[in-house]
Amino acid sequence: MKFDLSILAKHIPFLLEGAWLTLQACALAVIGSLVLGLVVGAMRTSASPLLNRLAAIYIDIFRNIPFIVQLFFFYYGLPEIGIYIDAFTTGVVALSIAGGAFTSDVIRSGILAIDPGVIEAAQVSGLRKITIFRKIILPIALRASVRPLGSVFINLILTSSILSTITLNELTGSAKIVASNTFRPFEVYFVLLVAYAALTYSVSILIGMLHRYLNRHQEEGAV
Amino acid sequence: MISITGLRKSFGAATVLNGIDLEIRQGEVVSVLGSSGSGKSTLIRCINGLEKIDAGKITVDGFDVSKPRELSEARKRSGTVFQLFNLYPHMTAVQNVALAPIEVLKVPRKQAEAEARELLHSVGLTERADAYPSQLSGGQRQRVGICRALAMKPSYLLLDEVTSALDPEMTSEVLSILAALAKTGTTMVFVTHEIEFARSISSRIAFLDKGQLIADLPTEEFFSATGMALPRVAQFLSKMRKD
Amino acid sequence: MRYGDFTPFDIVLLLQGLGVSLALFVSTTLIGLVIGTAWAVIRFYRVPVLMQAVTFVAELLKNSPVLVQLFLVFFGLPAFLKINVTPTEAALITLSGNSAAFIYVIAVSAIESVGRDQIEAARVFGLTRWQILRRVIAPQATAFAIGPLTGLLVNQLQVTSLISVIGVMDLTKVGNILNLRTLKPFLVWTAVGLLYYLTAKLVTYAGARFEKRLRAHTAWKGL
Ligand SMILES: Nc1ncnc2c1ncn2[C@@H]1O[C@H](COP(=O)(O)OP(=O)(O)OP(=O)(O)O)[C@@H](O)[C@H]1O
Ligand SMILES: [Mg+2]
Repeated sequence: MKFDLSILAKHIPFLLEGAWLTLQACALAVIGSLVLGLVVGAMRTSASPLLNRLAAIYIDIFRNIPFIVQLFFFYYGLPEIGIYIDAFTTGVVALSIAGGAFTSDVIRSGILAIDPGVIEAAQVSGLRKITIFRKIILPIALRASVRPLGSVFINLILTSSILSTITLNELTGSAKIVASNTFRPFEVYFVLLVAYAALTYSVSILIGMLHRYLNRHQEEGAV
Repeated sequence: MISITGLRKSFGAATVLNGIDLEIRQGEVVSVLGSSGSGKSTLIRCINGLEKIDAGKITVDGFDVSKPRELSEARKRSGTVFQLFNLYPHMTAVQNVALAPIEVLKVPRKQAEAEARELLHSVGLTERADAYPSQLSGGQRQRVGICRALAMKPSYLLLDEVTSALDPEMTSEVLSILAALAKTGTTMVFVTHEIEFARSISSRIAFLDKGQLIADLPTEEFFSATGMALPRVAQFLSKMRKD
Repeated sequence: MRYGDFTPFDIVLLLQGLGVSLALFVSTTLIGLVIGTAWAVIRFYRVPVLMQAVTFVAELLKNSPVLVQLFLVFFGLPAFLKINVTPTEAALITLSGNSAAFIYVIAVSAIESVGRDQIEAARVFGLTRWQILRRVIAPQATAFAIGPLTGLLVNQLQVTSLISVIGVMDLTKVGNILNLRTLKPFLVWTAVGLLYYLTAKLVTYAGARFEKRLRAHTAWKGL
């Protein structure tokens, strides 16, 4: 059989719809996992042993269990306890929780890398704890974490393809439909693979730019 | 007044401060001298509440630093300048200086930044006010550090070896600012190894030795200490003069 | 006993699934190790064309979802090449290729971690490039690579769960079957998750042990 991409042309709008759903799910999951990651990362570096322990357990569990198992747990499990949410919401929640475990690890190392003297300077100037966290710790940790966070988010995009297993017709889900309608799975999945690679590649370029922009004052200068 | 009575502090089994009594009144410049490891930094860190004390009491204008509720009041009244500057790396010089006034004293941002610029101007950093710490030399950074402490209009300035990370030229930049501050009647607790400078600006010298305050004397009395009366001090002075 | 209840045999089923997951995990890791290292050696020798091809393929594999790679091999290849590919074969091919791509990256940075000066020195002693690779670089690079490799293995173990989607009877597929039959999703997915979790912990532990032994060994040699 010859390699013929032209038959895909009329399915492009449908695939783009799927891509749009993927982008929405990923954008929401990035926000979700960032919020979760900040809270858990802060817990993980807090002085309270209880909070610290809880955060560590969460990270440990969700990093060591396959995402698809987590996803099925929520997708099949939540209705059983009376929580009925659609596949999209379930997917976003599951992605956020899994992503949050990785994000919090990144945030934690970002926080731990901060020169303690800087935090002490903030303490002695009378700033409240919450202010120190918002104005000093967070901005410094986030700036240092742009690149590793970027890798986490790129992984999130790749992982979002698994949402197709819970009937969500995001990019991979709609490609599955196109593949079975056209009987051209090779072409479809090949294009899909390249599309994901292009997507993650452009995201990684954006992240590089963001990193340089946010850290423009940090690298130069004498010591 | 900063009042320290019966202060004890240990790290694990090591007792670092062993019963310190010291008073610093408004308008005084008290230099804290002592050999390395004698507990000078720890003393400063106890006064500004960075270290929990094991026994005794420290009050700043009557506010007890061991009581969480009073610590913030105590901290408002004292400013600290650090050996390694500890500037906020993600903020410009102005932002570094204006942060605490905005957040703690609730000064409107515009006003706080204008005051910050004025302070930076007074230490010769008019041009560098919008630079980030990484774009400043060590001496410039320390001048920002001093402005940051002064911005809170503290009654007391705590300085821990603020020039020891600087080369001689930068050191004199910073010392001249401190000398000017001393002249204007700023109260200072000044930990230093620059004993000649300490002599020139201090009203009193406190001398720490192995966690004990073994001398607390008017400056000239301290520097004329003899080996008979104060053997440890004389030994310290002769060693410092040799270096 | 009602149809739908758990039976003692389900435990056997779960363990069988775990066995399949582990078998594929181990075999594809070994294949990936061989291919990935070979790719790194190609790069070390700067073989023209081949080197660029390897880099390109590795990037493509790293930056696209494994699920899509799996679909390409399982649905795409048979349609395109008119050949038969069983789910297990598709799983073997895809997971091996994916592991190879990540191992390649680790191997390259491990090789680069060995200082240029050492390689120069070895060359001065008249060692051939192959001798340098085997005697000088390989031992040090291995020690360097164990840490990142352990992290990768934990990840690859989880990636195996995706082969359930194309019908391989692995642990996740067994979970699917039990889920459908018993309608007790929480219990089923918790049990499945726990098995994955314990296996992941075992891999982490083994990696740490191995690294410690290797380090002790190299330290002793260095004296
Ligand atoms: N956080 C800490 N944990 C354990 N020991 C400490 C800690 N901080 C200080 N010490 C010990 O306390 C003693 C006094 O330290 P300190 O820093 O107060 O001395 P110093 O007089 O400032 O010395 P220097 O002139 O070298 O700065 C030293 O022996 C030091 O090792
Ligand atoms: Mg000190």
